[in-house]
Amino acid sequence: MMIKAPIHFLNNRVFLSATVTVWYNRDADSIMPPPAATNLGHTPPDGGWGWAVVLGSFISIGFSYAFPKSLTIYFKEIQAYFSVSYSEIAWVSSVMLASMYAGGPVSSVLVNRFGSRPVVMVGGVMVCAGMVLASFGTTIIHLYLCVGVIGGLGLAFNLQPALAIIGTYFQVKRPLANGLAMTGSPVVLFTLAPLNQFLFDSFGWRGSFLILGAIVLNCCVAGALMRPVNKAIQPKPKLEAPPCDQEDPSANANAQSANLLTEESQSEGKKERCLDKFIDVSLFKHRGFLIYLIGNVVMFFGLFAPVVFLAPYARHQGVDEYSAAFLLSIFALVDMFVRPLTGFIGNTKWVRPRIQYFFSFAVVYNGVCHLLCPLAEGYSGLVVYTVFFGVAFGMLCALLFEVLMDLVGPKRFSTAVGLVTIIECGPVLLGPPMSGALVDKFGDYKYMYYACGVIMLVPGIFFFIMNYYNYKKLDEERRQSAGAEMRNSDEAVELKMNQIEKIAYETDG
Amino acid sequence: MSTSWKQLLFQTVLLLISCRPTQTKTSGPTPPPLVPISPLSTAVRSVVLEGDSHTEKVELENPVDLELECVWSGNLNNLPNVTGVWRKGGDELENSRLAVPLENEKYHLRRVFRIVSEENLGNYSCVFGNEAKVDFILAAPQMGEVRDKPIVSYVGDSVVVVCKMEATKPKPLSWNWYKANGTDKEQIIYAAESHQYEIKDKDWTSKLVVHNLTEADSGSYHCEAVYALGTTMGHVELKVITLWEPLKPFIAILVEVVVLVAAILLYERSQSKKKCSGENGTNAEQSNTL
Repeated sequence: MMIKAPIHFLNNRVFLSATVTVWYNRDADSIMPPPAATNLGHTPPDGGWGWAVVLGSFISIGFSYAFPKSLTIYFKEIQAYFSVSYSEIAWVSSVMLASMYAGGPVSSVLVNRFGSRPVVMVGGVMVCAGMVLASFGTTIIHLYLCVGVIGGLGLAFNLQPALAIIGTYFQVKRPLANGLAMTGSPVVLFTLAPLNQFLFDSFGWRGSFLILGAIVLNCCVAGALMRPVNKAIQPKPKLEAPPCDQEDPSANANAQSANLLTEESQSEGKKERCLDKFIDVSLFKHRGFLIYLIGNVVMFFGLFAPVVFLAPYARHQGVDEYSAAFLLSIFALVDMFVRPLTGFIGNTKWVRPRIQYFFSFAVVYNGVCHLLCPLAEGYSGLVVYTVFFGVAFGMLCALLFEVLMDLVGPKRFSTAVGLVTIIECGPVLLGPPMSGALVDKFGDYKYMYYACGVIMLVPGIFFFIMNYYNYKKLDEERRQSAGAEMRNSDEAVELKMNQIEKIAYETDG
Repeated sequence: MSTSWKQLLFQTVLLLISCRPTQTKTSGPTPPPLVPISPLSTAVRSVVLEGDSHTEKVELENPVDLELECVWSGNLNNLPNVTGVWRKGGDELENSRLAVPLENEKYHLRRVFRIVSEENLGNYSCVFGNEAKVDFILAAPQMGEVRDKPIVSYVGDSVVVVCKMEATKPKPLSWNWYKANGTDKEQIIYAAESHQYEIKDKDWTSKLVVHNLTEADSGSYHCEAVYALGTTMGHVELKVITLWEPLKPFIAILVEVVVLVAAILLYERSQSKKKCSGENGTNAEQSNTL
């Protein structure tokens, strides 16, 4: 969209470049998020190597979410080996999940400093080391530390950077890229489950942990794919002019005009470099971030419990063990296909500008699904419920991080997601045990489903209302800033015209 | 006086003769009077036959008087009487053949069996004529979930082999463990005598802990749940391998990861070199035109 101005066409071309810059911004507003979000400093390629990066993110996100869930196959034997109760062994999964969420801010700080690639590779090595050490474990505490703490932290180092790098590579096609990357979770879970069973039958739990350590090292391959985006391709001219151009006075004029336009972004860059060292607390004043945070914290209490209790609920209804496990497979399959589809829909020109409403709809749909679950009768009723739930869950997960990127912008996304995950740590860990307590107290699963349904419905409605308000405010702000920009660019063009006239007058004279 | 004495002697002799013990026919074995007969609990198992044959599993743990009942609704032409017979293990039981009358459109065969020892367990059948039959398989409680795949463990490590009886069934009195020697010979494991084995029994489960495994410890382990009436066997396979086994795929995957990472990074390096030389070329061109 930028026409590079050959320097010898002074009058017309300089004028032209200035107007084209303004046009670029105006055009962008119609299909892209508000201007605050696009201040990346470079044009995202929206393709090319970006798709390889999506593959890398797919692998990293897949392992981060699926790995803790897939380890449960080993619990029975480890429980017998160490002579501990089931709840003690289940703690391994919880500690891993807690470390993964709590490691968010650490991960964000590292990504801001070093970029995605080194962090992901270090994360992969950490999980591998944790699993290898655990395979030689002699006590259950050993497992908590190696698998739980080290493994969980390594997965945190995989999750955040994988999400953040998508924002740097994609702008126009970002919802689709996010949807595709998030599909990693059900796909990896679907592959790991039978693989884990095979490893367990062939090698026992120790050998399996060793081999899983190697398998998870493939996150390093994912990290290698996460090439830092080429920031040299930018619409604004370079501030450091090449040596041979400095002799030309017209080049100076061009550089000066460039300076006028990029003054603001320069000062912003300096400010951000200071804040990068610490957690960006200014995010808590960001309206969109607060809406997202409050809604998510409530929502996460009821998000994972229905997944955890799907098989036990089915068995409670009298379904046999294999059919109950088959329900989970149906759920994973539906989830797998819905996520990229949601990304694609989110990318269409009707949905993209108001993608927050799409997310709110997904949350409300989840809530309604759970409220209607107790009405499902028999195995076929449960299958129908599972399919609808799979669609709901997939939609929600595909959009979960896309809407955060949409609200805070790709630059602050890394810090934002770190804050969000550490605050979500509580609800994620407390949700399933609380639901379990509800089931134990009433002896019936339907109260738990009603509770989860309400817990999802309330944030959904909250999102709808608050996002309507947020969009209104953002539209107002955009109109104001567009007006201000117009005035700025007019002034800049006038200034340049005066300068050029002066130079022309001097050279002529 | 002497005649009364003679009469008394004669009566006494007569009395002694008439009081000689005689053989009486009884329906069942008369237990010796010195041993007290403990009252056994009774249980009833009844099967209504739909079709030609049916098999019913009966699990017993303690001695019991078991009444087995077979009810048959007959076939198209129901005779007023049908021959009913009880069999054990295929052999006809004594005095069990009788004519079964038709009552309320059905034939009923009932018999009480005294189950006191392992010999009394087995396969009992009631047969109606030559047409319908119900098999009752009397046995001690069977183990439910037995792992069919081997447990894998490592040389030098220890392993816990678990045998579990379902909690819905009665608790075993004790447990025994055997190791199969490959030639079908089983050796009982005495935990007290060996340093290598430890047996922990708790309620419905029994755990055999084997320390300091060697490859010779691989094989079949049989656990035996002992009940008053008999025993049930379960078995678990153990496979002992060295650490080298999982290390092979580990190293293979490690090599794959290193190769891929190197390939991706080298590709990137070559791409950026091409771009660098390309850019230098265009820069030179621009400076020339100026």
